[in-house]
Amino acid sequence: MNELTPPVLEVHDVVKHFGDDTALKGVSLTVHEGEVVAVLGPSGSGKSTLVRCIHQLQSIDGGSMYLDGELLGYEEHPKGLRPLPERRIEQQRQRMGMVFQQFNLFPHWTVLRNITEGPMVVHGKSRAEATERARFLLDRVGLADKADAHPRQLSGGQQQRVAIARAVATRPRILLFDEPTSSLDPQLVDEVLSVMKDLAETGMTMIVVTHELGFARDVADRCVFMAEGQIIEQAPAAQFFDAPESPRLQSFLSRAGRPPRTAESPAGIL
Amino acid sequence: MTTLANEERAVRRPVDVAGARARIRPVRILVTLLIIAIAAQVAVFLITNPKFEWDVVATYLFEPSVLGGLWVSIYLTVICMVIGSVLGTLLALGQLSDFTAVRWACQLYVGIFRGIPPLVQLIFWFNLAYLVPRIAIGIPFGPELISWSSNDVISSLTAAIIGLSLHEAAYMSEIVRSGILSVDSGQRDASAALGFSSRQTFTRVVLPQAMRVIVPPTGSQFIGLLKGTSLVSVIAMGDLLRSVQLIYNRTYDVVPMLIVAVIWYLVVVTLLTMLQRRIEAHFGRGYARAVTTKSRRVAQESEIAA
Repeated sequence: MNELTPPVLEVHDVVKHFGDDTALKGVSLTVHEGEVVAVLGPSGSGKSTLVRCIHQLQSIDGGSMYLDGELLGYEEHPKGLRPLPERRIEQQRQRMGMVFQQFNLFPHWTVLRNITEGPMVVHGKSRAEATERARFLLDRVGLADKADAHPRQLSGGQQQRVAIARAVATRPRILLFDEPTSSLDPQLVDEVLSVMKDLAETGMTMIVVTHELGFARDVADRCVFMAEGQIIEQAPAAQFFDAPESPRLQSFLSRAGRPPRTAESPAGIL
Repeated sequence: MTTLANEERAVRRPVDVAGARARIRPVRILVTLLIIAIAAQVAVFLITNPKFEWDVVATYLFEPSVLGGLWVSIYLTVICMVIGSVLGTLLALGQLSDFTAVRWACQLYVGIFRGIPPLVQLIFWFNLAYLVPRIAIGIPFGPELISWSSNDVISSLTAAIIGLSLHEAAYMSEIVRSGILSVDSGQRDASAALGFSSRQTFTRVVLPQAMRVIVPPTGSQFIGLLKGTSLVSVIAMGDLLRSVQLIYNRTYDVVPMLIVAVIWYLVVVTLLTMLQRRIEAHFGRGYARAVTTKSRRVAQESEIAA
């Protein structure tokens, strides 16, 4: 939770271009063991791009990233840095987990198989071991009775809880959340946030890109504010919300003063 | 005003729509009668016209040479379909690859082989010996390691398999490509995020989902190929059509013999269609109770209740 624990992830001055646009303009971030970091900011600020780059779903154009001290995506060579072969990048990805905005469960498999396949195929676990862990995790996210259902038979909130179980099943060093509640109906957000809170309490190292200010304040150890591809401010959660320093964060917080999902609640429309 | 309306409504007994009868639809009745009339006319024509010679059809339907021809048509279809599907899948991956040289080669292949009529290809491959007297494996522009005479290698069977498979591969490539593109990119992200290799992602995540899009047009390709095997009669291969041709060349029963062939084609096509439906159902798992608004609402409500 603090500077005393070793850093799990170090991001140094990372740059990412999309054509002529620069999505990340030199972002640096260090995440320590057991720490929960919330990344906040307006849409288009580069929050999602940051976690997608960390998980190497997208390549970076500058800077560097280290997982447990190991350089991500590149290797040192006598004549300079070279990109790692695909296989090595897959091995690095296997040590991280990701939860997506659109859940991205595999619709052709049952809920149970969605969770067991990663540990079995990638980590060489036996079916019995993988199944036991999957059932344990399903129980933890409150879906023990849905093991044999297909993802499309579940609500969005249930799907996202399965997706979290799937990401945790491989025992990642760090778990990345890319707006995990943004495509959920408002009344389903809390069930997902409470699972994430449970997870944080078990000591999981997490980076959470979110619009849920309440969650960030209650659960995150540290909050990061991004705008236009840069980190504008980062601080411990209480200080971040109660004493924001930069004018941009101040105006962001005052505009988002009301919890956004009450404002969008269909109950207000009906 | 409002209370008056409410009282009036309370007095009127609410009806029950469960007892409602179907509406009479005159146009539908008319069209149904018309279809029955046409079907009856066709049936009468088929039965009463003596030129169909149904007794001759019955005599030759299970003739060994006809059944032999049928067997040739079926196995040629299956072999060419298997080769075409495997080659087509590789070509589809090639076309979608970020490896420029491979992508261009695959696109060029599809462009050329989709554009050449299969009949032309069959004749071309059958006459390969004219163009290339010897087939050799060796280093390009270098020494030969092993070689055969083209006339020994190219029989009407190999010419038929090569010609139809290469043609089929080009079409299957486009079908598989559209199937792969139909799978949401989030599925690839999620698979990569779990640490699956690109091969594991393709075989475990992308292809099984792409099959839902691939299977229906593949069924049509299979049927098209079965009928396409009738082309091999031009290179003297004994398929179903050629087996009946050989008989009517002798007996002059052209129409009844063609009917024999048509019956067998229809039997096989019907069986293939039934098989296709079963395969579609298999790959439709997890989609059967797809998200209608109602089922989703029910799911959410039950979840809230729980």
